[in-house]
Amino acid sequence: MAAEHDHATGPVHAAHDGAAAHGEAHAAQEIPELPNVITVLSERYHDHPVVAFLHHYETPFFGILVALFICALFWRFRKPQPLPRGGQNFVELFVEGMDGFVQSVAGHRGRQHVPFIGTLFLYIWFMNLSGLIPGFKSSTSSLNTTIGLAVVVFFYVQWVGIKTQGLLKYFDHLAGSPRGVVGWMLVPLMLPLHVLGEFIKPVSLSLRLGFNVFAEDVLLAVLVGLGLTAGLALHLPVGIPLQAFVVPLVLIFSTVQALVFSLLSTVYIALMSPHGEHH
Amino acid sequence: MTYQTMLALSVPLALGLAAMASAFGLSRAVTAAMEAMARQPEAGGQIQTAMIIGCALIEALTIYVLVIAFVLQGKIS
Repeated sequence: MAAEHDHATGPVHAAHDGAAAHGEAHAAQEIPELPNVITVLSERYHDHPVVAFLHHYETPFFGILVALFICALFWRFRKPQPLPRGGQNFVELFVEGMDGFVQSVAGHRGRQHVPFIGTLFLYIWFMNLSGLIPGFKSSTSSLNTTIGLAVVVFFYVQWVGIKTQGLLKYFDHLAGSPRGVVGWMLVPLMLPLHVLGEFIKPVSLSLRLGFNVFAEDVLLAVLVGLGLTAGLALHLPVGIPLQAFVVPLVLIFSTVQALVFSLLSTVYIALMSPHGEHH
Repeated sequence: MTYQTMLALSVPLALGLAAMASAFGLSRAVTAAMEAMARQPEAGGQIQTAMIIGCALIEALTIYVLVIAFVLQGKIS
């Protein structure tokens, strides 16, 4: 599907460099990227202020679109029927699965975090998958989105830590729970280590998610470009859909990355809770 | 040999090495998890969760090298 879409924008570039294969890359040096609705609009109406604004903020635009879609989904199923029909089955499956998943990691006390983790998972998952829809872009392939999500997780984890343990216990935990002379002597070593650890968590979360999705998108774009080149070389009216082999992989990895992000967030929350045995 | 040539040679090599090492690490982690799951199928869920965390942490190392590769890519041309 994406190949046809790409082919439609191809002639715009073919007019001046004679190769539709460059349809997804503005210049030879740039990282290939599949066209989306906004880049196509930007090709045609480059000077229009609205289009320029959208082009500048395309990542938040698609992120907000996904958020609105999730809101619409929840609005649609806001009144659950006792006998679930149609889409409600899937929503219940998801909610129950998320409930069991969070409780298996964070224990029974972790149940209060199910709405947060579930929303996080759903949002990231849909943003990852939206890159596969022609004309859309994965917002998570930009570091701006993933850093925002990781910062939200960071503040949530700290807030949970302070709320459930109290401020004193929280700092005690950060200082490595000093007991006795040796414990207090180790505080200058343990405190920076723990504080640094807290700040490295969001960095690694955001980099992992962002660059995984980015790599997937680049892979898809490169394969679409290859398919178009092959189609042109063989004088076919459309490109060869080479990316069809990677789409199942991308589907799996989109899910796994969303799962890993929410799983690690759950683990961080569980570590901050007072009954976290393992730290 | 200009520094661009050196970068163009070493960046893909570094990425390949990192991918190789993390593939080795992933293979060991998944092997151990599979063996444990085969021995105790009732603990499969917990083992799988722990395995995914470990896999994510191992895989992140390759991603860091990928980040560096993208940072250095601009200096090659």
